[in-house]
Order: sequence, then C-alpha cells, then structure tokens
Amino acid sequence: MKMNEEMLNALQSVGSGGVVVHLTTCSADGVSNVVGERFVASYGDEHIVIADMFAQKTKVNLNENPVGIITVAHPTKARYWAFRGPCTIIMWGEDDDYDFHGVKAGEVLREWGDWATKEPPSEVPPDIRPPALCQRGVITLKVDDAYSWFPNESGKKIL
Amino acid sequence: MSTLTPRMMNWLARFGAHIATASKSGYPTTIVVESATIEEGKYVTYQLTDAQRDQIAANIAENPYVAQAPHAIAAIRAAYQFKGSATLEGNSLKVEIKEIYCTKPGPEAALRLDVLGMDQVIKFEESRWRDVGPPK
Repeated sequence: MKMNEEMLNALQSVGSGGVVVHLTTCSADGVSNVVGERFVASYGDEHIVIADMFAQKTKVNLNENPVGIITVAHPTKARYWAFRGPCTIIMWGEDDDYDFHGVKAGEVLREWGDWATKEPPSEVPPDIRPPALCQRGVITLKVDDAYSWFPNESGKKIL
Repeated sequence: MSTLTPRMMNWLARFGAHIATASKSGYPTTIVVESATIEEGKYVTYQLTDAQRDQIAANIAENPYVAQAPHAIAAIRAAYQFKGSATLEGNSLKVEIKEIYCTKPGPEAALRLDVLGMDQVIKFEESRWRDVGPPK
C-alpha cells in the first residue's frame, strides 16, 4: 500500500522536521510491547524503517510474530496515523540479497544501518540523549494497512 | 513494586498513552488516548470514544493484557512502558499496572523497574531526568 506525499515527508527524524513514533509488536500469544522510536524514515513509498538499537523485546516478538504497528506520537500536527503490516529486523550480517517484502537487506543497511552518523541526534537534550548509539540493524515495516488514531474516528482507514 | 512514581503519573496523566492491544493469536491494534487518570498509584483509567471502544473491545475481551507508552512529547521525555491487565466497562478502560520498564535507548532499554523498590526507582529517575513531570 503506497503512502501519500504528506506521510512520506513526515516520516523522518524529528530533528529534520519529522516525527517520533511508537512501535507496537506482540508475542505469538498476544502479549503486546510498545516503545518510542526517534530514528524513523520512510523507505520507498510502501515501507517505514526504524533504527534497531538493541530493542530486546521487539526482536523476540518479531522473531515469532512478524507484524507491527507504527503510530505517530510527536509532534502530531493532525498526523493521526497508524501503519500496520509485516515487520522484521534486517540485521547486520544478513545476506545482501535477502528480500523482505521488496526491501533488499544490503541496500537498506547501507542507507540506514548507521543512523547516528547519518543523522546525529544533535537536537536531543543531554538528559534524554542515549549515552551511546549502537545499531544492530534496521526495523522494517511494510505498510499493508493504515488507520486513523484520532479519537473520534479511531480505526478509520486512511489509505 | 508495580506502583507508578510521581514522575510517571504526572507524564501519563497529562499526555495519556499509546495503548497496544492484541488478539489472542497476536494480531495487534493500537489506540491513542490523550489523557489518563491514576488511582492508588497503579490503576490507570482512560476514557475512550465510541470509535476507540469499538476498535479494541474484541481484543480486550479475549486478551486483556495491554502495553502502554506515554504519548506526545512524553514519548521522548518519559521513556517508560507500562503493562497490565485491562477491563473495559462502557467507555472506560481501566488498567491495573503489573510491569514497568524503562525504554530509553541504549544500555537501559528494557530495564525492568517494577522489580526495584520505590526509593531505587526514584533515585534512578533523578539520576537520569531533570524533571518530575511536564511543565505547567
């Protein structure tokens, strides 16, 4: 499912005018996990990528249940979006030709596998900046479904 | 200790949370509620719209365990995750908190806080953040 221009432009690091998002995953038996993510970008017009900085439970969940939801958290500016679809972590060491729903591992790792160098979080205040930024791979979500989380129309399809 | 600290309660009450639910077979649905009320330090109540209630009612009925992470600027300033058991009565979703995690990226990611004493958690917070809640 192709995202629109507004979505593609908004899905970038907050320091570049983009957004902070939350990523939801869950275990195969339905125990949910939701964490905030600052390093986010659109990738092509059907995928969203996030830096995997040793997101422990996220990895365990995606290994057994490869589906996720990305919800815009801040700043919303009427961007009440939730994107749901197949999700995985493409990790350093993966075969370059490994293909996840149209994303080649080698290509996405070369572009987004060292996010802290490419887009250092210089706007983040010292008390909330991580002491070290180590990236294990790239969380990749293929957008299959998008709905509004705006309270009065929550669940309404937006793509 | 599954009791929220004052800092956690202040951020959660002001900005609400992204509430992650799932079917029993692991298909997720997340809603966003932009404020919350907290009682006794461990019961968090969200007032849902009809659309939100309809969106998650089936999930809560078959799988009441939910995860919550603070919304808006609190997603950056208050890097916590709260998990617990939810009950839905009318449009009121009440969650009893059972697990509390720090989700700050880096070495503290996924650090479980509810296994520590309240004094230790508050010391942890004071060593990492300069605020005790959102600005007035």
